[in-house]
Amino acid sequence: MGWGSVLLEVTLMPLLAFATGLLLVLMMRRIRARLERRVGPPFFQPLYDILKLYGKRVQISHGFIHDLGIIMVVGGYITVEMYLPMPGMDGLAAHGDLITLAYLMMVPSLGMALGVGQCANPNGSIGISRALMAMLGYDIPFMLVIVAAATLYGTTSLPDIIAAQQGGGMATWGVVTMPVMAIAGLVTTHVMLAKEPFETYVAPAEIATGPMVEMGGKFMGGLFVVQAFQVYTAGALYTTLFLGGGTSWLEFLPKLCAVMFLPFAITVLFPRFKAGEGLLWVWKWPTAIALLGLALIYLRR
Amino acid sequence: MADKDKDKAIDIPVTAGQPAGGSPYAGVFDRLFDFCRARSLFLLHYCTGCGAIELPPAMTSRYDMERLGIQPMATPRQADILLVTGYVATKTLKRILLTYEQMPAPRYVIGICSCTVNGGMYWQSYATVKKLNEYLPVDMYIAGCMPRPEAVIAGLQQLMDKIEAGRANGWQDYYRRYDAYLGKQQALFGPRWQTPTDIVAEARRFELFGPGTLGAHTSLLDQYQQPLELPSEPVFGRQKDESGR
Repeated sequence: MGWGSVLLEVTLMPLLAFATGLLLVLMMRRIRARLERRVGPPFFQPLYDILKLYGKRVQISHGFIHDLGIIMVVGGYITVEMYLPMPGMDGLAAHGDLITLAYLMMVPSLGMALGVGQCANPNGSIGISRALMAMLGYDIPFMLVIVAAATLYGTTSLPDIIAAQQGGGMATWGVVTMPVMAIAGLVTTHVMLAKEPFETYVAPAEIATGPMVEMGGKFMGGLFVVQAFQVYTAGALYTTLFLGGGTSWLEFLPKLCAVMFLPFAITVLFPRFKAGEGLLWVWKWPTAIALLGLALIYLRR
Repeated sequence: MADKDKDKAIDIPVTAGQPAGGSPYAGVFDRLFDFCRARSLFLLHYCTGCGAIELPPAMTSRYDMERLGIQPMATPRQADILLVTGYVATKTLKRILLTYEQMPAPRYVIGICSCTVNGGMYWQSYATVKKLNEYLPVDMYIAGCMPRPEAVIAGLQQLMDKIEAGRANGWQDYYRRYDAYLGKQQALFGPRWQTPTDIVAEARRFELFGPGTLGAHTSLLDQYQQPLELPSEPVFGRQKDESGR
């Protein structure tokens, strides 16, 4: 594969991921609205929000690191998208693997911590400490899922994992070959998206949206872009590991929506955990399920 | 209250938009952003008055504001619209001004209920502000005691039309005639009134510096200005604060 096509894919992949992410954000807001018996936002609402926020004038600065933080958050996710295969495009996926991806997915959170730390708003500091705490929680089941996938497929390369599942049809999909792990992965995805009841670090009524508290105008625009990337990344990674990716967008997109439907729908049912309670819950249940799943995989080998 | 600039203050001011730049594409982007601004409005509620009770039905399943792109936000930094519902006491006005000045431009203010228009049933109260638009630019009033959710949504839609046409320029007026607004604020709070936001510097940065930005009242700002930060030497076991704050 020549440099030209790699460059093209690396440019297209984040853009496509962003567009799909916007669609998923719209789906999230529509599902919430329908469950609350509302109509919900119009089709282009996520795009209007982002364009409007980028059209705002920023009259304040909290300093250089604050500005750098938001670049790290958006940049981190753009890099993640380059390593996450999508139908027809592998981008840099052949040059990195699951471990690289797991590492890169931490960069946005760290960038956020860096940026928010400088704005000196106590709500922001509380929020970001809770966000890192949540990361400490979901990273354990997440890592177990990665270990399980690597053990089962015998590789950490994402294109190979997809090829292994697409070669043998639906019977070789991760969700069939390691069903217990698929449940743990779904719960982990839910925690990773910070949906209720794990919404501890956003908590609008308690700490005024936590890390986002001082983010206005273009900074907020960056975070809305990141939200689109975040939902896409979580869904695409799950689809890749458990549902065999997709040979085309016609196959990939319904899978993505099906995966995300569950967290988006059940989140409406819950109030919020306390930060410590949420952490303990994550260390207890998804971790226990993931350990069980891992044990089953080792027993079967 | 000073009646000198009464005429100027009572009219909801309409100022001209940005002068057209050299590039033919500048206007295109402005129109695109105005289009998006009108369709995505983040609300910040300043609900100390009774009008707040009409907002939950306007937001939830019965009337659902989100279908128009309107949703509530938690902090002034994230918001586009400051919603002042009901009477404004002189004490709450201070907080409203602090909140308003923290919002990123372009920002809009909506006064809901008769109390924000003319004091309403608090007309004879010594502690209540009568006309909100004397102290900060109000883009839209929704009158009524209290306005029904339909009226609130109709008002918001009118504001959306105004934004899309590029006529909701109250925030620019605050920079261009800051001295007049500040004068009204000082008439209530005394000559020592200060906010942490440097409106004059922002007016320069946004190129909205008008003949009314500086004046007799802004010179009082400089006269009574106190340093916002404490002295730089380390203050463990903070001594008595001589600035009186």
